Order: sequence, then C-alpha cells, then structure tokens
Amino acid sequence: MAYDADLNFNFVYRTKIVFGAGSLREAPIEVAALGGTRVLLVTDPGVVKLGLAKRVEAALGQGSGGMHVGTYADVPSDSSIDTVERGAALGREMKADAVVSVGGGSVIDTAKGIAICLGTGHRLVEHEGCNTLSKRLTPHVVIPTTAGTGSEVSYAAVVKDAEKHRKILFVDWFIIPDTAILDPELTVGLPPKLTAATGMDALTHAVESLHSLQREPIADALALHAIRLIKEYLPQAVENGKDLHVRGQMLIAANIAGCAFSNAQVGLVHAMAHTAGARFGIHHGHANSIFLPHVIRYNGDACADRYRLAAEAMGVDTRAMNDDAAVEAAARACAELAARCGLSARLRDVGVAESAITAELAEATTYDGSIVYNPKFVGESASLIPVYKAAW
Amino acid sequence: MSVPFPSADWVVKYKEAINGSAAYKAAGATWEKGVVALVCTKKPEIGLPDDVGIWLDLHQGVCRDAKLVAVGEAQKAPFCITGDYARWKQVVRKELDPVKGMMQGKLKLKGDLATIVKYVKASQELVECCSKVDTKFLDE
Ligand SMILES: [Fe+2]
Repeated sequence: MAYDADLNFNFVYRTKIVFGAGSLREAPIEVAALGGTRVLLVTDPGVVKLGLAKRVEAALGQGSGGMHVGTYADVPSDSSIDTVERGAALGREMKADAVVSVGGGSVIDTAKGIAICLGTGHRLVEHEGCNTLSKRLTPHVVIPTTAGTGSEVSYAAVVKDAEKHRKILFVDWFIIPDTAILDPELTVGLPPKLTAATGMDALTHAVESLHSLQREPIADALALHAIRLIKEYLPQAVENGKDLHVRGQMLIAANIAGCAFSNAQVGLVHAMAHTAGARFGIHHGHANSIFLPHVIRYNGDACADRYRLAAEAMGVDTRAMNDDAAVEAAARACAELAARCGLSARLRDVGVAESAITAELAEATTYDGSIVYNPKFVGESASLIPVYKAAW
Repeated sequence: MSVPFPSADWVVKYKEAINGSAAYKAAGATWEKGVVALVCTKKPEIGLPDDVGIWLDLHQGVCRDAKLVAVGEAQKAPFCITGDYARWKQVVRKELDPVKGMMQGKLKLKGDLATIVKYVKASQELVECCSKVDTKFLDE
C-alpha cells in the first residue's frame, strides 16, 4: 500500500509565492506587507557580479523613502556560524527590521540564520537543534537565483561550525521564509552546468519525498508534478538559459519539490550526497544526481510502487512492467535525464578515487539526518559500500 | 502497580526497564555522548504545576543514573528534549517516534540532531522501555 493504514501527518506551506518575470519589482510591496521598513539585503559575490544585487537594491529603493539600508554580500558557498553572526551584526548596526535574500541555498540559509539572530536577539548557536524558536522572526523575503534547493520554502538551515569541523542544523517552522519571489529573470544568468546540477537537486527532492517513510498524499501531488516539470523543462533550461518561460517552470518545479520534501523529508540519496559531497567537494545537486539511480535500485524492493509513480511522471509507460522493471525504469529515467543535461554519472568522473570508498565513509553516511526517512532501514553501514561502489 | 508519569517513582521504574533491556544495551552500546534530559512542560489543570525534567545519564548502553530535576538543570544536559504532556504521552505509548516528532515540530531538541539521528535505534529502544513501565497518566 502506498501509505500506512494509520497515515497521519502535518503539512505546512507557509511561504507566500509571488511568481512572474519582473516580479522582483514586487519586493518593496511584499516587505511592507510584512511590516518591514529597513531591509538588510543578503547575497553573495557571484550575485553581485551578475548585477542582480544592484537590481534588487534599486527595486527596494535607497535613501529617504527607500527601504534598502545595507547589503551583506560576504556569503561563501558554504555558510558558517561566523558568516551568519557578521551578517546579523551588520543588520543590528543598520537597524534592519527585514531581511531580503538573493541567491542560492547558502545565501538563503545564511539569511535564515540572520533572521534568527535579529528576531530573537540571541546568538545563533543557542538555537541549534529542532523547534527551539517560539515566535515569528524578522520578516524574510527570498529571491532565489537558482532553481533547485527549495530552501525558500523549507524549514531547515545548515551552517558550518568551522572551529569544530562539523555542520550544525536548525530545523524549525519559524525559519520558513515568509515570501518567495520567483522571478525567472534572475535565473537566466545561471550557467548550464549549475542549471543542470541544481535542477537534478530538485528532481532528487521530488523522488525522495515520494519514497520517504513520511510520504503523504499532499507532498506526493507536489512531487509528481515537480518531476513532470523537471523532465520537460530542465533539458531546455540547460540548452537555452535565456528562455524565461522555461526558467520560470523550473523555478516552480524546484519550489514545489522543496515544499514536498520539507514536509515529507528526504532519504538516503541526500545522506550520501551530503557526506560524499562535503568530503570530495562535489556540488550538492551533481552528487544527488550521481547517487539517485543507485539508491532507487537499492531501495527498490522496499517501495517499488513509489518508483513506478516516479517513472510514470517521467513519461515511462510502466503498465506492462513488473515491479523490478518499473524500479529499473525509474532509475534509468533519472540517469538519462542527468546525461541529457550534461552531468557526468560516476564518482570517478568527478575525481573520486576508488580507494576513497571506505567503511568509514559508509559509517559517516549513517550520521546524516536524512537517513532516518529512507524507506529501507540502513542497519549496517557496510550495506552502503556496494551502493557507493556502483556509483563509482 | 501503575506509577504516575512523570514522577520520581516512574523514573526509578524507567531506569530498571532500561537496564533490563538487552535491545537497548546493544543499540546504545557505543553511546558516550552524555546525558539526555527530557522536559515535560507544566499543565496545572492535571496536577503538573511546574515543568519537570527527567535526567538520564546514559553511557555505553547502561543508564547510570536517572532522576527528576528542575527544568534549569535539565537544560544544561548536552541533549534536552522538550514537549508538552500530550506529546510525551504519545511517546510513552509508542504513538510518536521521538526523532520524527522533532522533525515534525512536535518535540523540541536542544543539541546536535545528527548525533540523535545516528542513535535512532537506541532512541526507539528507550521508547520501548517506557512502554514497559506500568504508567498512570495524570489526565486519565
Ligand atoms: Fe537537496
């Protein structure tokens, strides 16, 4: 059966979505609707270089009558406690009462952290863990410049604790951003490789929501439509990044896949991608794309019906297939999509040595929070070594 | 005889149940991360006038000490899980998996989630031990 007989779940889609080419212009209206008057813009050097930060600053307006009071552009691709704290200090100095983030996952997570600090007056580390917040934070409007992470609707943030060499997690409904402005004009500058990798991240979110132990019908509905959109539009977005319609459909796909997994959770693909990605410096989306087909095969006997749905959403007619064939069809469809988008398929292609696949790597994978929801219980970490080897 | 949850008597019985569980001993054998504290928030209308902390000194599959503590004390533990009475009742009755409860916003965790996740099996065995204590709920 697709769902347990005692199915029970909570479902939250708290973020207001504002979509459309040019919707960036709505930013000041949305900030004002949340009660904000003084905006700290959070972004990264890449977004600044593309001229996108300037566009948002201009939309918010500066000087008297404007809202923009400062820009914090110091966000690296891997955010840290220090990055967040420095941003929060700037926000306090500028007396910011709203945060607008413009960028990808790291920028958005940093801004979530800054909203925690500004909203509570506490240091970030005081809120490590789950559900430690008790009230709404400083208003946060997200303007994504990639279509993948779904961070604009998710209730989690990850930042690095550089001193202790670990990642710290924040899981809380109160950190879900208030508003997401999905403006395809801001994603047209994303290069093909990154378009492909972030798009495959979104596909993985959708497939993992389907197979998660916390799967439920509302998230399924979102995930399945996200898969259809990604299958249709990701190759086009890679091919012709300037097409606003295509870019817009990918923003929507990433957004609804983000909402699906924020409610249903992700599983082993993400656990492997987090672990191997950090260790070998592989882009998160590309790592997901490498592991996805192999994890589908590994989990196949635990939830073939789920992968049949995924394969159907990818356009495969599975009616004449038995379960094994349907699982294989889903794995292949994911791998073929990645290949069409120009992403290499194996760990060796991204510079990982076979000798790096160790018992210790497999063991570290079981420490990742995502693994809790994998449809097949990973009791012994050794069972992951063949999956890593297959991906190599 | 059933014992009320939460109470000093309940904690004594719970410690016995943990130390009598071969499954927990195995699942928690490598746990050296310190104390896990549970906090049940107050509910005066059922006779729980203050927040109550349960201090579980767990080490290598053994519960070395278990006691009731004030909430301020409980919050000093490296892992502190907080919920209201109704949520803890669901946990004790095995209706709510605590790790999933955290991810669903039903229980609070102060501490490193990755560590808790790694010991998800041990946490499930601890819940199993709860269900072995003949528990009387204050609202029944
Ligand atoms: Fe992801």
